[in-house]
Amino acid sequence: MMHQSLNLLPLAKLEVGHHLYWQLGNLKIHGQVFITTWIVMGLLLIAAIAATRNIERIPKGIQNLMEYALEYVRDLAKNQIGEKEYRPWVPFVGTLFLFIFVANWSGALVPWKLIHLPEGELAAPTNDINTTVALALLVSLAYFYAGFRKRGLGYFAKYIEPTPILLPIAILEDFTKPLSLSFRLFGNILADELVVGVLVLLVPLFVPLPVMMLGLFTSAIQALVFATLAAAYIGEAMEGHGGEHEAH
Amino acid sequence: MFDFDATLPLMAAQFLLLVAILNQVFYKPLTKSLDDRDNYIRTNNTEAQERLAKAQRLAQQYEQELANTRRQAQSVIATAQAEAQKTAAQELAEVQREVQAQFQQVQQELDQQKQVALQALESQVGTLSRQILTKLLGTELAS
Repeated sequence: MMHQSLNLLPLAKLEVGHHLYWQLGNLKIHGQVFITTWIVMGLLLIAAIAATRNIERIPKGIQNLMEYALEYVRDLAKNQIGEKEYRPWVPFVGTLFLFIFVANWSGALVPWKLIHLPEGELAAPTNDINTTVALALLVSLAYFYAGFRKRGLGYFAKYIEPTPILLPIAILEDFTKPLSLSFRLFGNILADELVVGVLVLLVPLFVPLPVMMLGLFTSAIQALVFATLAAAYIGEAMEGHGGEHEAH
Repeated sequence: MFDFDATLPLMAAQFLLLVAILNQVFYKPLTKSLDDRDNYIRTNNTEAQERLAKAQRLAQQYEQELANTRRQAQSVIATAQAEAQKTAAQELAEVQREVQAQFQQVQQELDQQKQVALQALESQVGTLSRQILTKLLGTELAS
């Protein structure tokens, strides 16, 4: 492995903006993001398959754990979307939560940096803005889809309700929603990893531990916030601004 | 830091794929299992409640029957007692009457005998008084 001569500690290397580029046709992709993403997805799939391989009425072990996770995301979706409509959205919201949660924690718990890549470094997939923007855009598409499927073209009525004066703000909202979603997640995770990296660079022992604990906490909170907001947007799009309730 | 490239759409596609796969291997089976368990518990619960209600109904019925029987028994005892009392009173009255009758008869007989004895005595009064006289005053005076 080649180390830059500037680095005194090979473990505490700070790299932002370096990527392991893979060439796909004439497209460039970030290899390190895909590697960790596949590992995270693999973990989720293994846990899911292990939990459902032998479903029993009285759950135990991994089935119990995954049922707990499922009930958690189900309640999350139910609270935000409503008892009547939440069921088809559980997989999407739940996968958002589980994927982001496992990805964040993998970034905080797995010492990816011990694995050396020719360029760039392994980190949580949510550390890359492409991932968070992809997820946020999917949320946008999801709530548009939800709104149109539920209310048809009447969905547009929400832009001019209660008054057309708010139309620019309503339109602006559709841009700020994915923007805030993606940047919140990206910023939190990147900042957390950078803080830990800087602290490790300065004091390699013990001092970064509290920040790492805080990082675990932030990671979990960010996953929850992302999933909750996604569910809230979907619920809001289906509910409308009371236009449907007045008809009843 | 902000270089967007083909990673973005590929991540989106990957994520959708993950949603689809997890939906098949995770959400559907586990949701089904949860619902099944809910159903199982609910069914068992209603069944148990029904059974409990039935048991309570039966207990109530038995208690009612028990009360009825007890009441019947009491009334039987009461009638038996009343009858016994009546019989006892009747018999007592009869016996009293009989005793009275016998008493009267005895009294009558006694009276009769007294009469007879008095008559006999009366017939003998003369002779007896004469005899007494002779005894007291001597024969000469008496004759």
